[in-house]
Amino acid sequence: MKQAIAIDRLRLKFPGSDGLLFRDLSLSIAEGEKVLLLGPSGCGKSTLLQVMAGIIPHSIDVPMKAERLKRPERWGYVFQDPDAQFCMPYADEEIAFALENRSVPRHEMPVRIRALLNQVGLEIAPHTDIHTLSGGMKQRLALASVLALEPDVLFLDEPTALLDEEGTKAVWQTVKKVGRGKTVIIVEHKIDHVLDFVDRIVLFGRDGRIIADGEAKAVFSDYKDVIAAEGIWYPGVWDDYDRTARQRTRHQGEELLRLDRFRGFRGREAKIYVPKATVHAGEWIAVTGKNGAGKSTLLHALMQLIRTDGEYMLLGADIKRQHPIYRHIAFVFQNPEWQFVAHSVREELAYSLRLEGRPEAEIEETITRLLREFDLVEQQDQHPYQLSVGQKRRLSVAASIVAGQRLFLLDEPTFGQDAKNTFALLAMLESYREQGAAIIMVTHDEQIVRRFATRRWVVEDGALVRDERLAAVEPVLAEGGTWR
Amino acid sequence: MNWDIQRRETWLYEANPSLKLIVLVMLFFAVLFIHNPNVLINVSLALFVLFCFGTGYPANVLFWLFLPFFLVFVSTASSMMMFGEGTTTWFRWGLIHVTAESFWRGVHIGFRALALGLLGLIFSLTTRPVPLFYSLMQQLRLKPKYAYSFLAAVRLLPIMLEEFQAIRYALTVRGVPNKGVLSKMKRYAIPLLSQSIRRAQRIAVAMEAKQFSGSGRRTFYYEIGFGKYDIWLVALFAALMFAAYYVGVHYPYISISDVR
Repeated sequence: MKQAIAIDRLRLKFPGSDGLLFRDLSLSIAEGEKVLLLGPSGCGKSTLLQVMAGIIPHSIDVPMKAERLKRPERWGYVFQDPDAQFCMPYADEEIAFALENRSVPRHEMPVRIRALLNQVGLEIAPHTDIHTLSGGMKQRLALASVLALEPDVLFLDEPTALLDEEGTKAVWQTVKKVGRGKTVIIVEHKIDHVLDFVDRIVLFGRDGRIIADGEAKAVFSDYKDVIAAEGIWYPGVWDDYDRTARQRTRHQGEELLRLDRFRGFRGREAKIYVPKATVHAGEWIAVTGKNGAGKSTLLHALMQLIRTDGEYMLLGADIKRQHPIYRHIAFVFQNPEWQFVAHSVREELAYSLRLEGRPEAEIEETITRLLREFDLVEQQDQHPYQLSVGQKRRLSVAASIVAGQRLFLLDEPTFGQDAKNTFALLAMLESYREQGAAIIMVTHDEQIVRRFATRRWVVEDGALVRDERLAAVEPVLAEGGTWR
Repeated sequence: MNWDIQRRETWLYEANPSLKLIVLVMLFFAVLFIHNPNVLINVSLALFVLFCFGTGYPANVLFWLFLPFFLVFVSTASSMMMFGEGTTTWFRWGLIHVTAESFWRGVHIGFRALALGLLGLIFSLTTRPVPLFYSLMQQLRLKPKYAYSFLAAVRLLPIMLEEFQAIRYALTVRGVPNKGVLSKMKRYAIPLLSQSIRRAQRIAVAMEAKQFSGSGRRTFYYEIGFGKYDIWLVALFAALMFAAYYVGVHYPYISISDVR
């Protein structure tokens, strides 16, 4: 079979880091092969993908050397961040940008644009504002504009890392369709949808060396322990989690929050309506619903970030008399970076406590405890921005709940996290719940709802339409018996 | 979040953006060299009418856009009036010294600032960025490298606005005191910039990955040419200037024809 890509003895080093990222790495990929590159974060998979495409060194200058380097001539590359791969405001213009680069005659463009949108299953008018598309649609648009280059090789660099389940599914379905007959090389952490598509897995170790390389099913079953240890989302990861999960204890305490004909406004419009709802200590409420239904707005209203009316009782008193509200409710945003206010992990944790003027000895004690609980002891003097994705998430949760609040509001806290970090975070939240906190969490992940939530709030078209106890959980909780 | 403003696209939107730019820049310089306050007042009034009825934006939006320029008008005019020199004293109080000459000079400078502001507003309100940069590439030979970089930057703006809002919420939630201009700027600027710089770098890589070379031959999805609206545009502004000049000279509001 003809080679699509061949690398012989690649050496590469990032400026400023000690040691080589790759030492004499060799890899070759045949035409038409579907290859998945797996490995721990920081092992250099994405870098290797960029070397294969030629982005390194053409666009990103990194010192590298190889004895032989065969790169594809026609290739397309889909990146991770849906908001960072478009340069034009409208969908048709973005695809046209790729066509223009190839000097496709102007009169052919509208037809081709429509065909490409069709191919990736985007049923939108070509002249649609990209800003109005969901993450999954943006990634399919990225795929369409890449297909406009008529590539032989497709490079996919974690294209679904920042997407919800629905978007992830749609993207991989599309890739399977358009990838036929092409060479496809994938870096991905969520491999449930990828595994039946790829025919080969290359597994990397922490030091950038190849541990295993072979037929997909064989590598997956032979190296499952390694894959699990790296926090990769593989099929059956939740079943394995259930096997190790510890007992859950029931804790249903006093009422923390009561809402009655509660509305939240953006501008003059009521964007969320809650007819009646209560939250008790020890509850874990999953807020679910479609994109744009008003889930985040509900959290914003509860946190009083937007104007509200109706009855809202918090800890037995009217919300207006519970000022400042951040002493009673902790709020965790989707993007942890927005919340950071200090220059080190330690200071970040101390911030709210210092603001309240707590005694220094108490602050020290709390910080030391939280650093240990959230596994950030080694990072305590680093700048929050220098942390890994998982560490940032843990820090943002720790720093939010530091003041001892009873109620936690979380907006998709597991979004973009690997399996290991997700499990760690959920375990931490669970331990707080057992101690009598209540958790209200927006999530798209049914697996989490099924295993952790004691109740579900369904939000539809700007209203809380269903408030259901999760039956599967209740009997187990009542007995305080084993999970599952 | 929705940042769109409902607007009606008038024929000014259809004129060739490069031509519009050139015409308005020429007017810009012409306004600098008008010394007859009567003419300048007419020019400003005409531009104001065009701003109100030619841009297609609703009245409340126009009001808020116009407000800062009106304040500039008041402040430049008043400072020139009160601290200028002249021989016919109208009023004197300490440092403040208003003379007939300084008063009319102040009015003149104020209207000049106003006219320049209105020119800028009319251009930016009636020009969409994408046709503008396509036209600059096609008519004025702007390098694609710069044109597409600007367009990518334009795309980042609404994203940044959303992030700004999110950071504001996040800081409220953490109980960060909302005071101190400097510390506030730092709190917003660092996360906003760090996100934008990263995003801009990624977009640049993504653009090159789509075989964008920054120069060399390329075709264009939009071909921006010339049409009847371009004739209208030139005719409109020529008529506007001529009328302002004619009325200003023959039917003056005040007897001063040169403020210098």
